[in-house]
Amino acid sequence: MTRKIRAAAAIALIGATALVAAGCSAGSDAAGGDGGKVTMTFWHNSTTGPGKAFWEKTVKDFEAKNPDVTIKIQAIQNEDLDGKLQTALNSGSAPDVFLQRGGGKMAAMVNAGQLMDISDSIGSTAKDEISAGAFGGYKQDGKTWAMPVDVNPEGIWYSQDLFKKAGIEGTPTTIDELNADIQKLKDAGIQPVAVGAKDAWPAAHWYYNFALRACSESTLTKTAKDLKFTNPCWTQAGKDTKAFFDTKPFNDGYLTTAAQQGAGSSAGLVANHKAAMELMGAWDPGVISSLTPDGKPLPDLGFFPFPEVSGGKGEPGSMMGAVDGFSCSAKAPKKACTDFLNYMTQKPVQEAYYTAFNAIPANKSAQAVVTEPYLKTVLAAYNKAPFVSNYLDTVYGQNVGNALNTSVVNLLAGKGSVDDIVKTVNQAAAKG
Amino acid sequence: MTTSVAPRSDARSGAGRNPGGADGSPSAPARRARKGTDVRTRVEIAVLAGPATIMFVGFVILPVALAAYYGFYKWQGYGVPTDFVGLQNYAIIFTDPDFRGVLLHNAFIVIGSLLVQGPIAIVLALLLNQRIRGRGLIRVLIFLPYVISEVIVGTGWSLMLQSSGAVNDLLQAVGLGALRADWLSNPDIAIWTLLAIISWKYIGFAVILFLAGLQSIPEELFEAAQLDGASYWQIQRRITLPLLGPTVRIWAFLSIIGSLQLFDLVYIIWGQYIAATAGTSTMATYMVANGRMSGNYGYGNAVAVVIFLISLAVALVYQRFVLRRDTAGALTEKADR
Repeated sequence: MTRKIRAAAAIALIGATALVAAGCSAGSDAAGGDGGKVTMTFWHNSTTGPGKAFWEKTVKDFEAKNPDVTIKIQAIQNEDLDGKLQTALNSGSAPDVFLQRGGGKMAAMVNAGQLMDISDSIGSTAKDEISAGAFGGYKQDGKTWAMPVDVNPEGIWYSQDLFKKAGIEGTPTTIDELNADIQKLKDAGIQPVAVGAKDAWPAAHWYYNFALRACSESTLTKTAKDLKFTNPCWTQAGKDTKAFFDTKPFNDGYLTTAAQQGAGSSAGLVANHKAAMELMGAWDPGVISSLTPDGKPLPDLGFFPFPEVSGGKGEPGSMMGAVDGFSCSAKAPKKACTDFLNYMTQKPVQEAYYTAFNAIPANKSAQAVVTEPYLKTVLAAYNKAPFVSNYLDTVYGQNVGNALNTSVVNLLAGKGSVDDIVKTVNQAAAKG
Repeated sequence: MTTSVAPRSDARSGAGRNPGGADGSPSAPARRARKGTDVRTRVEIAVLAGPATIMFVGFVILPVALAAYYGFYKWQGYGVPTDFVGLQNYAIIFTDPDFRGVLLHNAFIVIGSLLVQGPIAIVLALLLNQRIRGRGLIRVLIFLPYVISEVIVGTGWSLMLQSSGAVNDLLQAVGLGALRADWLSNPDIAIWTLLAIISWKYIGFAVILFLAGLQSIPEELFEAAQLDGASYWQIQRRITLPLLGPTVRIWAFLSIIGSLQLFDLVYIIWGQYIAATAGTSTMATYMVANGRMSGNYGYGNAVAVVIFLISLAVALVYQRFVLRRDTAGALTEKADR
């Protein structure tokens, strides 16, 4: 008996030690008030390549300029970030600075009192050089809750070489032209479109863009408020999506293809010329270049905006697009944290950001350094766009957003109908 | 356990003969001695059992109670839950077609694991119990998948089973190109693929258990049977299998519980979102997808309670009806004691 208990106690002790050790690894050490030594934790989503190196250098430079501030970086894989962040926020151990996606996800954090109001701490560079539109996505109740660092309009990224090989001239501007080009690619034995349906949102983005073409701006904004998908344009968007999916444009095994991890991911397929195009935000060139065989940018990468669909209520030229930015936790040391946010918007930092991520910096004076023709195409389309909507899963919040994404994947896998999208979304609303 | 109960009951009856010692008349030294042992035993029990008890209550009982509490609320995880909804979460769970699908998948895995792994493992164990060349190596190879972490198994298989992965390439290379399939992404095949991976991974555990069970069967029985002229197969059927019964029943119990709790392999291979679409979602992945990933912590806790009750019910029924004779006296009261 005694021996058994001893063994049990030993096991319990080992377990307890392990748990304590595990518990210690999370949690922020934000201690001091302003003035004294301050330590902050910083979560971002660049786990590889130059993006990771950029944040390491930026933090080091910032620490050199602010000797009292120490920043601990934690790079978290993009797909894991939201879940981990939510757990950290719930348990009161939020990081001091973290990636902010905006929309319904940000609204939940604001309503829970988890974010710092940075309205009166925005520096002059950020005020003068970043457009009001970029800040717009981070405003709620008249206050600003995050600092934008880049703009990510969405469109289709493609390989010019593969298009040429299939005999495609120019880029498609309507959905019919896109379908014709997809057929040409298929005839040439090239996988036309890569999609990382394993992560759900990349497939759902096709639905978002069809919705952007079918629904008016006011419908999209109204739905964000009441979460009722009653307008017939939602069904129209579903029908358009289904019609497109039915042409079987995607890579083999798309359902278990991830978006960004490894050569088998959708970005990896484009990077390695295994698929001709993918629908993605303007962060994609950076992701693709980290997945090419030599780790350098894809030389023949091109971009065209999502094709127009005739008969819809959406204004032609409208784009899906997000702003990437960073929030301070409500518990973070205010001066050090907002200083760091402002530092991110400085011109040299923003130029380095562009070099590292191959993405469009939020600071307009830094946008001048953009040289890649595809990013110039993106900027031209973005500056012309009459309406830029944030991604719908972000707009509608984590609960409804996730349900929306998975229902589109179901449609893609042939497991659900167009009506199921609306049904699933309503069902999700009941769970929340 | 049965033997170890004896000293404790002695100590108890010793104290019972002289309750508390307060009104007793034994001589002072004897009393002090007994009280000394009594206190020492209590302290020893407290010190040795205390940490385990605290861990058990703190990390098993308390979370279950908290989950039951949160399950009655709509709660996004921020602050204290305030929106009491009674049984509404449970009503949604049992009307959600996704949850029904999840139950079917779990049932498929439970039954499939038993039917696939059990017979194969018994045959392998009988084989490896013979003196054959390379026995040690084969044993290691069969046990190896069980030792590898789930994450590595999941990542490895998901890479090999991709549509353009090694398995399909291999089939093509050996002229079986017609058998190429979307092993992971075709909803009609995916759950069979999952069952195959699970069987590959866990069969080593069953084989090792059965081998240990075989070792404990006395040699004399085989000798006696051989002397009586029983053939090899008769010996296996009449002696080995019946005597292996307790081991098989315990293995089946572990297998059922493991299948009900299946999470990591599915989560690694099919990710956070598409397990339901591929038809491989389990109760645990449903809980994570609809609780944590969606930020519906109240609902997720209600799902956790349902999983707990289902597992508990299965475990109790199995204990009561199947394991009864194996555990008699240890987990159940023995009449003759």
